[in-house]
Amino acid sequence: MRGDSCGTIAADVKRLTASLFACLAVISSCEERKEVVVTETRAASTRDIPPKLSATNDERFRDAKPSPVKGATPDGWLAVPATQLRLLNYRFGESGMGEVWVSISSGSVLDNVNRWFNQFGATPVDQAGLEKLRSVPIAGHSGTWVEAVGEYASGMGSVPKSGFALAGVVSLVDGRILTVKMVGPKDEVAAATSVLENFSKSLKIAD
Amino acid sequence: MENFSELAVQLKPGRSIAGKTFDVLSGFGLATILLLLLGLLTWFATLEQIDKGLYPTLNKYFHWKSVFLLPEIKGKIVPLPLLGGYWAGALLLLNLTLGGIIRIRKGWKHAGNLISHFGIIFMLVAGGVAHHFSERGNMAVGEGDSSNVAEDYFEYVVEVAEIKDGKPDAIHVIRGRDLVDLTDGASRLFKFPNLPFDLEIAGYQSHSVPVSIAERAPTLGERDAGGYYLMGKPGELNAEANTAGCYARVVHRDGKKAEPFILAGASFYPFTVLHDERTFTVDMRKRLWPMPFTLKLDEFTAAFHPGTMKPSKFVSKITRLENGSEAKVTIQMNEPMRYEGLTFFQASYGPPGAGPGQRMYSVFEVVKNPADKWPEYSLYIVSFGMLVTFLTKFGGYLASSSRKNRHV
Repeated sequence: MRGDSCGTIAADVKRLTASLFACLAVISSCEERKEVVVTETRAASTRDIPPKLSATNDERFRDAKPSPVKGATPDGWLAVPATQLRLLNYRFGESGMGEVWVSISSGSVLDNVNRWFNQFGATPVDQAGLEKLRSVPIAGHSGTWVEAVGEYASGMGSVPKSGFALAGVVSLVDGRILTVKMVGPKDEVAAATSVLENFSKSLKIAD
Repeated sequence: MENFSELAVQLKPGRSIAGKTFDVLSGFGLATILLLLLGLLTWFATLEQIDKGLYPTLNKYFHWKSVFLLPEIKGKIVPLPLLGGYWAGALLLLNLTLGGIIRIRKGWKHAGNLISHFGIIFMLVAGGVAHHFSERGNMAVGEGDSSNVAEDYFEYVVEVAEIKDGKPDAIHVIRGRDLVDLTDGASRLFKFPNLPFDLEIAGYQSHSVPVSIAERAPTLGERDAGGYYLMGKPGELNAEANTAGCYARVVHRDGKKAEPFILAGASFYPFTVLHDERTFTVDMRKRLWPMPFTLKLDEFTAAFHPGTMKPSKFVSKITRLENGSEAKVTIQMNEPMRYEGLTFFQASYGPPGAGPGQRMYSVFEVVKNPADKWPEYSLYIVSFGMLVTFLTKFGGYLASSSRKNRHV
């Protein structure tokens, strides 16, 4: 009976070894795929709008349309592609989480200031409170300086970020609400507020 | 005279290795260990996802490719190797099948236990089916607009389309599974039998942005493609925000290779390839999966708790259009639409931080999961099994009490 057990074990080991080598062969053949024949297709959908053809790299990666606002990128900031809502768009800070963007919004100065405060759970202000906030130059006009610290919740669907801060300017320029908004880890924002003020002052509205 | 114990050992047949293995795999001990392990994995994953993000943590702890792992808390590795959650669940499934169905004592007295065990096995199978076969994406629709497609949350693909009459036609798709391993110098040739060229792709990065060399010079030897390069970035905590990128070049049928160009999830427009009189676009984007019907957003209502950005209610009134017929449906938080194997959840709205007076769009999470309702069914089965066990025990107690009273 002991001899039978040894024979069974040996047979099991042989089968296991053969299976292992077969698996290794399959895995190694997968890793060495140098060519793939593409057979998958899909039909056009509502998302497939007529594309812009022969776009340059500047157009492809920066959507380089004339922006109504122009500004020089401060040292240490990285200009990233503009988006539908961000006319000028930057990243800053060591963490990579610091963002600055320039937008044209709707509503009033008070609406936008309070929307920023709401995103940080800060107490909204009324008109009297708004007038007590500091004024700073922006694009040749005067704007309201806004600051907040706390948990940043930009809106539904995004994960709230604690330890964040906001600094920015909201202004009525030529009938439009121009905003410069900086959001990031509070230490990085605190270190960059003077750069932000100078940047806001340097902005120019395109002719 | 021979020692009696030695005689007993000689007479008693030894348990084979297979038998001992069966005992271990079907035993309570293994079940207890696996349940504790799954609890530990869930606890560590909950802590780790705070810093690493949910999606990467789920992959680390519960993906089938993760056999063993070392937890990490606040950036510090915990020196406690753990079996991956998928494999712990698979072992638990085996344990429950061997111990809870095959090995367990049979008979009507144990029917309840059998049923409950089957229910739990069903739930574990549901998890496996969901892991391998479910798809998740989102669909963003503006008021008055329609959509017949969902976008995958994470998978980036490369699409090649011929442009006819200004519109894409017959879009060829290179799936993400054929791209993600093209790192560290690896490249792959993608052959299109119905197109006049092929594509060679290399340098895949799961999160990167194209940067102009004029803005910032490459520092890690990144290749220049038309004055731009791909700057790699650490993965976002919210993995959906990652934008993949890679380098590609057209390979003509005569073997000649064109200059490399960048494909990026962050790009606004596709790359154009002109071949004879034909026009093609090459683009990288999140995978689109077509829906069997069109969804039109008739009305979207958003309400917030006063003075906060915390939502109290989001309601989307939609019309589902299919083969000429229409159906009006309301989708809101905790009340999804289930239809043809797809589930639409009210997930979000946009644009992010939308202010007063801005046109908003509704975002639905679209889930295709063959095992969508299986956990619910398994709970019914387990509950039924427990009820049967309770009634069996109670009936037995009443019967034995009745016998005792008769004998008194």
